[in-house]
Amino acid sequence: MSQKIKKILIANRGEIAIRIVRACRDLKIKSVAVFSDTDRTAFHVRLADQAYHIGPSPSSESYLVHDKIIDAAKRSGADAIHPGYGFLAENAAFAQRCEDEGIIFIGPKPETITLLGDKLQAREAAMKAGLPVVPGATIEQDDLASAAAEAEKVGYPILIKAAAGGGGKGMRVVETPDEFAEGLQRASSEAKNAFGDGRVFIERYLKRPRHIEIQILCDRHGHYLHLGERECSIQRRHQKVIEEAPSPVMTPELRERMGAAAVSIARQTGYIGAGTCEFMVSRDLEFFFLEVNTRLQVEHPVTELVTGLDLVREQIAIAEDRPLSFRQEDVVMKGHAIECRIYAEDPQNGFVPSTGRLTNYRIPAGPGVRVDSGVVTSNEIPIYYDPMIAKLCTWGQNREEAIDRMKRALREYRVSGVETTIGFHQTIMDNVKFTAGDLSTSFLAEEYPDNDYTRINDYLARSAAIAAALDKFSRERKIASLTDQEASKWKVVHRKAHLRGMGGTD
Amino acid sequence: MAHYLVTVDGREYDIEIEYQQLRYEVVINGEQAIVQAYDLDETRRLLLIDDFSHEVDIRSNCLGNSRMVFMQGRDIQLDVEDFSLAQLRKTAGISSGPAIESVLKAPMPGLVLEVKVSPGDRIKKGQPLIIIEAMKMENVIKAPADVVITEIPAKVGDSVEKGDALVEFEV
Repeated sequence: MSQKIKKILIANRGEIAIRIVRACRDLKIKSVAVFSDTDRTAFHVRLADQAYHIGPSPSSESYLVHDKIIDAAKRSGADAIHPGYGFLAENAAFAQRCEDEGIIFIGPKPETITLLGDKLQAREAAMKAGLPVVPGATIEQDDLASAAAEAEKVGYPILIKAAAGGGGKGMRVVETPDEFAEGLQRASSEAKNAFGDGRVFIERYLKRPRHIEIQILCDRHGHYLHLGERECSIQRRHQKVIEEAPSPVMTPELRERMGAAAVSIARQTGYIGAGTCEFMVSRDLEFFFLEVNTRLQVEHPVTELVTGLDLVREQIAIAEDRPLSFRQEDVVMKGHAIECRIYAEDPQNGFVPSTGRLTNYRIPAGPGVRVDSGVVTSNEIPIYYDPMIAKLCTWGQNREEAIDRMKRALREYRVSGVETTIGFHQTIMDNVKFTAGDLSTSFLAEEYPDNDYTRINDYLARSAAIAAALDKFSRERKIASLTDQEASKWKVVHRKAHLRGMGGTD
Repeated sequence: MAHYLVTVDGREYDIEIEYQQLRYEVVINGEQAIVQAYDLDETRRLLLIDDFSHEVDIRSNCLGNSRMVFMQGRDIQLDVEDFSLAQLRKTAGISSGPAIESVLKAPMPGLVLEVKVSPGDRIKKGQPLIIIEAMKMENVIKAPADVVITEIPAKVGDSVEKGDALVEFEV
């Protein structure tokens, strides 16, 4: 029986909370925000219909506390909870708790989250569903000698990955056997810190692979669809920074095979809701199963831009037990979309998080531009959370137009108060390998080994030199550059002096 | 009139500036340019360089001669020196690059997970010194040059703020 959702509590913050508020408003569903101390006046709190304070700034004392979220849901009378991504989005215990409390969790079933959240179990499920997987092995972490032997069998270079992992945390590339012990210890301790679970496994490390993922959408009535691919090969420290759809190397035939593979693991696991099946793709376009993310992805807007669908709306419809309103053959990708993740990070300083107050914040607009921003002017960028402040997406008839529009939009974007990755993205948009679509997950490491994203042309260098020299000049001489009003005052003073000179009586 | 030497991305510009009622007369590498400047806020300015519009953001938190300019969506790092001082420096054969400080400071707030060196250690450039956890990522702080460790103010388990001294050394 379908059940109309009337009010959704959003267990998240930043741009994704706002994304969900917007979907709710479009659907005439009331939205409930939650906020920590530091987020009291955050943008998501201002836009939602209701807002509940849930504690101190650290997420472990607010956004991650099941009791507080459930309590806010009950007090507000919300009949569903949308977890966004991150925080509780892939927490099976929380999904179960919602079910137990009679609140709809907008996401897959708790047992699906558990199964696919464990990379080892997910790998087994993928193999059962007939998906190709990268050669790999589980290891006895306490027995270094046997673990090292397993690593030799898989073949170097290898990748050590956290069983409970995601987002690049607890992941280490080991090039040679003598780096194995150190890599194992590092990956395991990082995994323990990030996920409270130090178990790791190893995989063959593919050279210069592409990361291509398939968006899936499954209802409770046995319909399993895919919405085509996203290429997310531009990564820094295993974190995606630029995504696009379609992939520059995709063919209809490959899309059909990868789509079928994603659908078959969804079917195998009885998947419900929106999810993403990630693949690694070799230089000769062989694909291997990586993992399934049981949530809405950060980069979902590029799929929305090329398919015309609203993924959050679809998630809500599925949660209401309604069958999908379209079939596989209705899904058509039109044009090309690119997303640049704008982080409050300092590219000149090893991309360390940059915190502070946004003294000025202006987002780009115009044809083909979509900005999902989590912040507005005067917001504080806190140290407690992920430093992504916005997602800038552009759409074009083709990839070239999408890139040109991205360059235009990056040029309009202005942020004062914190350092951002806008300049970094502009550099990438000008990179000839990027514009040629020659991508791989080692793109940044290969193209920018010194992390230097400041190469510029003569015209820009000359203009910047003038700007910098003028800055020093006016600071030293305390010449404020003039506003129009001051300028007219100067004219009056000048004219007076001039007249005085003319009528000189001395 | 003022005379500067600006270095940007390996290029040098000899720039003379004169302020003439409402506008700047600039001579850059022998070519004349007329510039109008309007302040938009503390860091942003609108420049019309020979009527070409540039909205620039000049980061003023840079110390001394170095400037960070953001324009046309690009981050641009520059050095601005007094021309005569730059000439003196060049005759003395000193490079304009920033001197390596003898204190390594925390680049971000975080938790000290591991200290990989001890006072007295001779460390090669790029060798790991200290590991800091920030935003759930482990960040390895490496030696900026070949150094000898003198003191280590940071201890394992310390919560450090951005700019706190972590490791002191001699180059």
